Amino acid sequence: MIPHGTKRVFTFPWRSTADVRADIREEFQVHLDMRTAELVAAGRTEGDARAQAAREFGDAAVGASACARADTRMEWRQRARTLAADLMRDTALGMRLLIRNPWFSALSIAMLALGIGANAAIYSMFEQTLFRPLPVATPGELVNLAAPGPKPGGDNCNQAGRCSDVFSWPMYRDLAALSPGFAGIAAHRASDVTLTPARVDRSEWAMGMLVSGNYFDVLQVRPALGRMIAEADVAAAAPVAVLSHAYWRTRLNADPTVLGEALLVNGRPLTIVGVAPAGFEGTTLGFRPAAYLPFPVRALIEPGGAQDLENRRSHWVYLFGRLAPGVPLAQARDALNAPYRRILAEVESPLLTGVSDQTRAQFMAKQIVATDGSRGQSRLHAVLNTPLTLLLLVAGVVLLIACANIANLQLARAAARASEMAVRLSIGGSRWQLVRQLLIESCVLALAGGAAGLVVAHWTLQGIAMLLPASAVDMSLTFALDWPAMLFGAALTIGAGLLFGLAPALKATRPDILSTLKDQSGQPSGARSSARLRSVLCTAQIALAMALLVSAGLFVRSLVNLSNVALGLDPEHLVTFAVAPGLNGYAPDGTRAFVERLEADLAAIPGVTSASASLIRVLSNQSNGGNLVVEGFTTDLDADTNVRMHGVGPTFFGTMGMALLGGRAFSAADTLGAPRVAIVNEAFARKFNLGPNPVGRRLSRRGAVALDTEIVGLVRDAKYSDVKGEVPAVLYEPYRQKPDLFAMYFYVRTALPPEPLLAAVPGVVRAIDPRVPVRDLVTMPQQVRENIFLDRMVSVLSLAFASLATVMAALGLYGVLTYTIAQRTKEIGLRMALGADAATVRGMVLGQMARMTVVGASGGLLVAFGLGAAVRSLLYGLDGFDPLVVASSVSLLAIIALAAALAPAMRAARIDPMRALRWD
Amino acid sequence: MNPLSHETLALLQGTADLLILQALRQGPAHGYAVSRWVRERTEGVLSMEDAALYQALHRLEARAWVASEWGLSENNRRAKFYTLTPEGRAQLRAEVSAWKRYASAVFKVLETT
Repeated sequence: MIPHGTKRVFTFPWRSTADVRADIREEFQVHLDMRTAELVAAGRTEGDARAQAAREFGDAAVGASACARADTRMEWRQRARTLAADLMRDTALGMRLLIRNPWFSALSIAMLALGIGANAAIYSMFEQTLFRPLPVATPGELVNLAAPGPKPGGDNCNQAGRCSDVFSWPMYRDLAALSPGFAGIAAHRASDVTLTPARVDRSEWAMGMLVSGNYFDVLQVRPALGRMIAEADVAAAAPVAVLSHAYWRTRLNADPTVLGEALLVNGRPLTIVGVAPAGFEGTTLGFRPAAYLPFPVRALIEPGGAQDLENRRSHWVYLFGRLAPGVPLAQARDALNAPYRRILAEVESPLLTGVSDQTRAQFMAKQIVATDGSRGQSRLHAVLNTPLTLLLLVAGVVLLIACANIANLQLARAAARASEMAVRLSIGGSRWQLVRQLLIESCVLALAGGAAGLVVAHWTLQGIAMLLPASAVDMSLTFALDWPAMLFGAALTIGAGLLFGLAPALKATRPDILSTLKDQSGQPSGARSSARLRSVLCTAQIALAMALLVSAGLFVRSLVNLSNVALGLDPEHLVTFAVAPGLNGYAPDGTRAFVERLEADLAAIPGVTSASASLIRVLSNQSNGGNLVVEGFTTDLDADTNVRMHGVGPTFFGTMGMALLGGRAFSAADTLGAPRVAIVNEAFARKFNLGPNPVGRRLSRRGAVALDTEIVGLVRDAKYSDVKGEVPAVLYEPYRQKPDLFAMYFYVRTALPPEPLLAAVPGVVRAIDPRVPVRDLVTMPQQVRENIFLDRMVSVLSLAFASLATVMAALGLYGVLTYTIAQRTKEIGLRMALGADAATVRGMVLGQMARMTVVGASGGLLVAFGLGAAVRSLLYGLDGFDPLVVASSVSLLAIIALAAALAPAMRAARIDPMRALRWD
Repeated sequence: MNPLSHETLALLQGTADLLILQALRQGPAHGYAVSRWVRERTEGVLSMEDAALYQALHRLEARAWVASEWGLSENNRRAKFYTLTPEGRAQLRAEVSAWKRYASAVFKVLETT
């Protein structure tokens, strides 16, 4: 018996349930036998004695099962205790080993931190934009609705979805009233507004969200305060508003007494009836509404708003629904399509005028399309999908390379620890115990790397935030580590620990390692296969680095192309901003006076050479268009006569630096009363076959009675809504000939640096009316940069990741070569003794490097070609295969591989044959 | 039914544990030896079915008050031996003193009436 206090030396194998029961049976039997023997010895007969023993014993079956329960419980408790103790011991041992190998540990932790940090950061972006459902009850029941097809009359869309996704308000009312298969169908539409809480008396431009009466019911969002917009508000066109939690908190100090007070929306007083819950920011990623308003309020706050609410030909409303419990999406969609088609046929098709039979047929064939709405409605999902998936993939590859490197380092250490393992195996340690200990060492390493990775992730997110335009940073994204990203990082940490720990651990504990003990040369017999594994890992690293280098090269080249795009205008020394006097209650005539005075006042700022107002914020994805009838061009109703339109001031072209190719510019005399004039660009002239000199030709909007506008000038093509797109046909008209001015964008050219101008603009506007806020005040180069922010982000991040991957692969290569030379010292010494010179030895090492690099790079190029094809949509001015990029990536990799191999090659060449051979 | 009128007394709750721990104080013993010790020491007054005795032994082992090990009996037969652990010894001391205080309190009441 072991005296108490003695440490457990050997672990006995665990007892199974059957073992436990057998032991108890035996114990009982022994007892009965002993008692019987004693009674027999006292003179009783055998049978009599046995019967009495059984009687005294009582119910053996019940006793046995109670004993088994107690034993099993004890067994488990002991197992857990032993395991915990083992884990603690292994962890402590792992930490000691890490501290004992500071270089190995520091290098591994640094590589892991970079790999895990990059992944956690990108995943944070990915999760927030592409994964995270709306913060509402059972978001999986929500579906987005769209009805692609002809939209006669017109459509108006925004970031919530494509222009094919919008419905008219009357159509929404019809569908919402029927909505078979749905618990409810809701509508929303964002609208720029100025908000002025009565108690604050300071206006600001903010986002108002028009919502249907059941919007919050369908979402199942409850108010933080007061009540939400209700059906009755919509029915009665009640002038009420619900504040967003963020607006209420930041602008009204979260004061609950604001309920019942007035909120001026575009100058119209609405009553604040409630506050939305914290965290709810509408249903469109990238939009952060400050206030929710019932749809009919649009008639109060916007000129022409009433028409939009009645017009079946005006498509501008986004729809989503919540499925009725248990109804699948397809069934709900089909159930909704029946009434939809009936409304199209009976109500809307008679309204169709001036369309071809073909268009009418397409119109009648329109179907409602239902898609998963758990993330709400936003065009950002489609925009960000490919780039973020790509970046996540790239970050994953970086981590893989880091893991391969660490696995390589582990293999090297495993070789050094081979005799330790062999001894432990031979004195009875189980393989599982050794593997577990090695895996725990890896996990300790991974945890340290993961912890440091959080810091890296934080930096990376800060870096990403700097790459994004201010508007994107302001949108609902957070650039701090959140729970999903942390969990992802933690999962990666454990995964990485197992990934880089498992192969070396299995390798190090191979049963045949016992031969190590006998092997007098000190070379583990597994060394050859271990060296092969190391070479394979290293080659794979080179392949992955190659793939990343090529794809990063593609994105950098694409960004360079974008930076060199001929914009057709001169963004340097140009400042732009917006004002919307109409949002402050200015009538169109008041707005006109405001804008004309502002143009003059801006031009009077010292250093300013010219200033012009316009109706479109160029190069920021804004667009406005319509169909034309052009003199001499076909009147076929199905012909494409769609052009982009822009209302501009007299000095617009000069201010923008756009060259006038013929005719005249607009003048101050082109006003409402004067004959209507227009200037077209080259693309316009080409589209309508107007020849080199379109000046003098006449045109009108489609549907007008006469050709009422004359072309007076031709300007050179200039980018309109974005940097990437082709220049569309653009019709420029004098804004002074527009009857309904509301919001205007200004461009101011200065001969001086633009920064003082940025500072001066708000004062100039304030001097005219202090209530009118200035918005989107930036330099033009900044606006251009923001227009291609995604390209910038993808190329900067992929270049950073590719550099990281290449450096890690180089480290891996260096490590493998160094290790090989150490292993082959004796062999190299022998060769040198037999007459090989330093050049031959150098060649041997460089040859090994070259083999791995050629094989790796070839594999990497194959991957890169596939990757290039997959990301073609993200590239500008080049397709997925670019010889220059491939050539420069290959050269770069070759140079780096050579640099990594040089030191080991030199060292090998300096081996002294006498010393090498004298070893052992 | 009045238990005091019988020749043998059913064990009060918790008394079995106390008796077993006390039996093991002398040194390691197998279950049969414990059973015999209890019968002899109480001169057959206290009765305990052997099945219940083993349940108590296993329960005490699960609580780590006793430890067990298979060994050889005096007749060279394989048997499971139980040992009092230091925790068990401490528990026994605590239970004995509690039992004595309990018993003396009860006696005081009985003697004054």
